[in-house]
Amino acid sequence: MTSREDILARVRAKLNRNPDNAATGRVAIEATLAARSQGPRPAVNPQKSALVERLIEKSLAYSSTVDQVATAAEAPAAVARYLTGLNLPLKAVVWPELARLDWSGSGLAVQARGAQDVDLVGITGCFCAIAETGTLMLCGSPDTPATVSLLPETHIAFVPASRIVSGMEEGFALARAELGQLPRAVNFISGPSRTGDIEQTIVLGAHGPYRVHLVLLTEE
Amino acid sequence: MESRARRFKSNSEAALANPVLQGNMRTAKGKFVDKRAISIKEIDDFEGTREAAKALRNRVIENLDLWLEKFEEIATARGATVLWAKDGAEICRHVVDIGKQHGIKKAVKSKSMLSEEAGLNLALEAAGIQPVETDLGEYILQINNNEPPSHIIAPVVHKGLDEVADLFHKVHKTPRKTEIPALTREAREVLREHFLTAEMGISGGNFLVAETGSVALVTNEGNGRMVTTLPRVHVVITGIEKVIPTLEDLSTLMRLLPRSATGQSISNYVSVLTGTKAAGDLDGPEHLYFILVDNGRADVVGSEFQDMLRCIRCGACMNHCPVYQTIGGHAYGWVYPGPMGSVLTPLYTGIENAIDLPHAATLCNQCGVVCPVKIPLPELLRKLREKQVEKNLRPWFERVAFRLWAWVASCPTLYGIGTWFAVRYLKWLAGGNQTIPILGAAPEWTRGRDFPAPEGKTFRELYAGRKS
Amino acid sequence: MRVALFVTCLVDLMRPRIGFAAIELLEAADCEVIVPAAQTCCGQPAWNSGDRAAAAKLAKKVIAEFEGHEYVVAPSGSCADHIRTEYPVILADEPDWYARAVALGSRVYELTDFLVNVAKLVSVPGNFAGRITYHDSCTGLRSLGIKAQPRALLAKLSGVDLQEMNGAEECCGFGGTFSVKFGEVSAAIAERKCNNACATGASAIVGGDLGCLLNIEGKLRRMGDTQTRVMHIAEVLAAKE
Repeated sequence: MTSREDILARVRAKLNRNPDNAATGRVAIEATLAARSQGPRPAVNPQKSALVERLIEKSLAYSSTVDQVATAAEAPAAVARYLTGLNLPLKAVVWPELARLDWSGSGLAVQARGAQDVDLVGITGCFCAIAETGTLMLCGSPDTPATVSLLPETHIAFVPASRIVSGMEEGFALARAELGQLPRAVNFISGPSRTGDIEQTIVLGAHGPYRVHLVLLTEE
Repeated sequence: MESRARRFKSNSEAALANPVLQGNMRTAKGKFVDKRAISIKEIDDFEGTREAAKALRNRVIENLDLWLEKFEEIATARGATVLWAKDGAEICRHVVDIGKQHGIKKAVKSKSMLSEEAGLNLALEAAGIQPVETDLGEYILQINNNEPPSHIIAPVVHKGLDEVADLFHKVHKTPRKTEIPALTREAREVLREHFLTAEMGISGGNFLVAETGSVALVTNEGNGRMVTTLPRVHVVITGIEKVIPTLEDLSTLMRLLPRSATGQSISNYVSVLTGTKAAGDLDGPEHLYFILVDNGRADVVGSEFQDMLRCIRCGACMNHCPVYQTIGGHAYGWVYPGPMGSVLTPLYTGIENAIDLPHAATLCNQCGVVCPVKIPLPELLRKLREKQVEKNLRPWFERVAFRLWAWVASCPTLYGIGTWFAVRYLKWLAGGNQTIPILGAAPEWTRGRDFPAPEGKTFRELYAGRKS
Repeated sequence: MRVALFVTCLVDLMRPRIGFAAIELLEAADCEVIVPAAQTCCGQPAWNSGDRAAAAKLAKKVIAEFEGHEYVVAPSGSCADHIRTEYPVILADEPDWYARAVALGSRVYELTDFLVNVAKLVSVPGNFAGRITYHDSCTGLRSLGIKAQPRALLAKLSGVDLQEMNGAEECCGFGGTFSVKFGEVSAAIAERKCNNACATGASAIVGGDLGCLLNIEGKLRRMGDTQTRVMHIAEVLAAKE
């Protein structure tokens, strides 16, 4: 008997499994999967302006910084402003999805590819943003590689206002609707990486980015 | 991991005498407890959310075999290989086999309590594969001669800054740092090297989502992402009880887990990983393995301890436990400390191997009140105590004492006589003082405190006297 | 109202004055108080130690002795809870006893809960004055919801200055048999409670469960504090000083 058979057999015995209750059990499982019922939800004002406000509030609380421009076309300038303000070089790796923006017009030297260890700044968009907790939802793909938000010390993310949703449930619903099945990697990101392992003292910048900067695209 | 739970009493007393541990536990308590209390106010309906979490966890356990099959079916369809392990030894065999099959020289690990249960790191080393812990706390333990963790969320809560600074200085051979950010930066640099060169990533699994065949990883440091994005092989080791039905259920649990664990509204990273690297993807593992582990869990299904399988490993119970707060986690002797450890260690390693743990509790129920999935921990501890009595595992004098007490208490006349003498004897022992400093009949009581003197007559005799 | 007093074994042995204070308070609330003479112990220590047989035996004795009364009141949250919540569990396999346990349980109350919510005591007979702090015993608090009731009663004493301590709801480390099995750990927890209590500057530490109070008092005296009083709330409410 394989371990699989052994373990399942013991679980079945403990549950008094027989063909009848297995049949009803399977029906129940399919019903649960189809129902997708939600648990209790904290109140989040679903009006667009309220969502924007909440996303900003929560992102700041989680140690991200936030800037706002009207459209994606203005975003590279916002990036240049941010990097200059921190005395960081105007060099970055960006999602291929964002390659078409006018980066050089703002003095930025970017490469559209996955990130490597040497890259200090990574620029991404997002699949959507969760207002409830100030969280970015990123879905990996060839045009939106996961490494760009992970390896560099500085992560800059463009967030179109129309892609801000209330809670994680809405994010998953959008993924089901727009992507069909989940991509290999869905990453929810809330601020810079951190650890409290030494004397319960929070330090920003563990293995992921030290700083996360959101650029809200208010008219996108 | 070998259990040292039999040495609980002596280990707990050693913990009391350790000033560094005592200081760290005091600090940790304030942070975990206070932050959690603030963060749960954000949920609006905390009790309702707990109830929903309890219900969804029960829903799976009640049909666990079918849910496991469902998860396996969908995960496999998405390109994962699903393996099963009866015990720790089999976990090690699977991982070593996978390592050999793919020519793995180094494996980076993000946190997996199951790999602790199995002693996986030692098995990997014996097979010529270098395991590197990447969770900062677990890394500190690993370079300190594989010291075991003392908390499931904060593995080095028992260590002070100086200890860590000395350790890094010794092992990394770098100048000794004195500030926590500098130490963290040093660890980042040392571990970054390993992330980039390891061929295999090993993680635990906070939850397995049956709907999509995915694993959800909840981390703050980013090591969970590193370990599952860069290496070409990813192995997930997790218990069979970790399956949840849908992504909506994950969303519900994500409101409770980070708040209960550290008081955060959300953990820095929640990674929902499904299948292997797709065509055109620039990152991700080419091979994904799930190892679904029994190691005692299957036997708890359908038992009077089944509630324990709802556990989502948040650590709130131990953070709020007066006993854990006083002695820390190592005294509990195995992978899981505090209230949940006092239930799991006997269940998974044998009741007779952890006799003290269910008794090392005041049954105050602070744990039950904060448990996000409403596990009635004091009830389970009491049931374990009852199991010990049924199996004749209690010391003979204890059994005799209770039989005697029950017999006397059932007979009012005998009781009246017995207590008449007892109160006079105790009053005499006190010799006119308020308290008795040493009481032979209850030496454990008087080791740390006095025994107050009784008034000298019983209520029953006084009441009878007043009435007549 | 006719009330049967379940005096509890600890009060019977160690502090009869608490029992008499409880009677005085109940009579001040216009209750007629009966004290069933053959009562001994509710059986909680046996149940918590896993001795089901002994626990069941004592449960049946208590049920038989008290079920004929309109109300049963105990100056202890843990004993009242044991009778109300645990007796049905202990006797779950014996349907007749189970039914009797459930019926009795609905009429069992902890003292302060009864005085405030059932008897609706208006004024208390005592005159205690001074700063006090209140320890919330675990079972009473988390199982029976005893929190506001003692404070409402203490508020009726004009001379009492109630200062809440840090960690008022934290366990004192007694835990019944825990205190005699893991004495050092128990005493260390008790020390935290004593430090928190004394930090309020209270001249008396007050609570509703004698087990906790004996634990706290014993620790205080071992710590060298012979001044701070440790009193049951019944004593405080009925005190004539």
